[in-house]
Amino acid sequence: MATEEESAVKEPLDLIRLSLDERIYVKLRSDRELRGKLHWVTVWLLQAYDQHLNMILGDVEEVVTTVEIDDETYEEIVRTTRRTVPFLFVRGDGVILVSPPLRTA
Amino acid sequence: MSTGGEKGSATTKTPADFLKSIRGRPVVVKLNSGVDYRGILACLDGYMNIAMEQTEEYVNGQLKNKYGDAFIRGNNVLYISTSKRTLADGA
Amino acid sequence: MLFFSYFKDLVGREVTVELKNDLAIRGTLHSVDQYLNIKLENTRVVDQDKYPHMLSVRNCFIRGSVVRYVQLPPDGVDVDLLHDATRREARGG
Repeated sequence: MATEEESAVKEPLDLIRLSLDERIYVKLRSDRELRGKLHWVTVWLLQAYDQHLNMILGDVEEVVTTVEIDDETYEEIVRTTRRTVPFLFVRGDGVILVSPPLRTA
Repeated sequence: MSTGGEKGSATTKTPADFLKSIRGRPVVVKLNSGVDYRGILACLDGYMNIAMEQTEEYVNGQLKNKYGDAFIRGNNVLYISTSKRTLADGA
Repeated sequence: MLFFSYFKDLVGREVTVELKNDLAIRGTLHSVDQYLNIKLENTRVVDQDKYPHMLSVRNCFIRGSVVRYVQLPPDGVDVDLLHDATRREARGG
């Protein structure tokens, strides 16, 4: 049950916890982006100074962006590849940014 | 508008005091990758995890994305700097 | 609650582990530990043409830190259970 107290963002991680069961955007290292429904998130402390943010997303769309240099013209060719995955566990160490869906007030 | 921030910055002594004083203020967060995020700092924790509002993503100085709310994982953060909105708008 | 207990429930199921070097390995989950190290059996590499040297690998131990994703079997995911676990941790910490 979500009480008033629980639905306030007091620390950054609350922003993610409050997005449970909602479609979120996740930006990962190596030019990967995910959009999926957040089903699980856990903070895993490796050391006192190092923590992970593991997640399970459902109905996931992954977009991978690669930049290649054309052999002859030396132009940058930006390619995006997309795929969908039903359920994906995402290891937290690759996460850069998480954005919850826009809540229109 | 909180006046606490201004009062805090006048008496800033330690990095922790600085981080406390900039809540609710426009900031620039630079990541190790070189990407900049401009927005209003909502809150942050001891790992430098950051929650921002009205976030704009700049890659090589170019606006690439906008996020209503954004969580940035602390290990990617190079620095957090306060910014004046007017400066950001002009850039 | 130990964070990896969920993975223990998936032991014996087919999963695809995608590594940070882009190698994707499908296999039966044999075991998993607190570091999320994973032991897979009856493995096969998803893109065999690209990694022919992996053809003879039938089981393997994967260090947790090199994992990028794990694709989970859809019928092995209890969404309500995961939601409850997330809320419990949020309250606890």
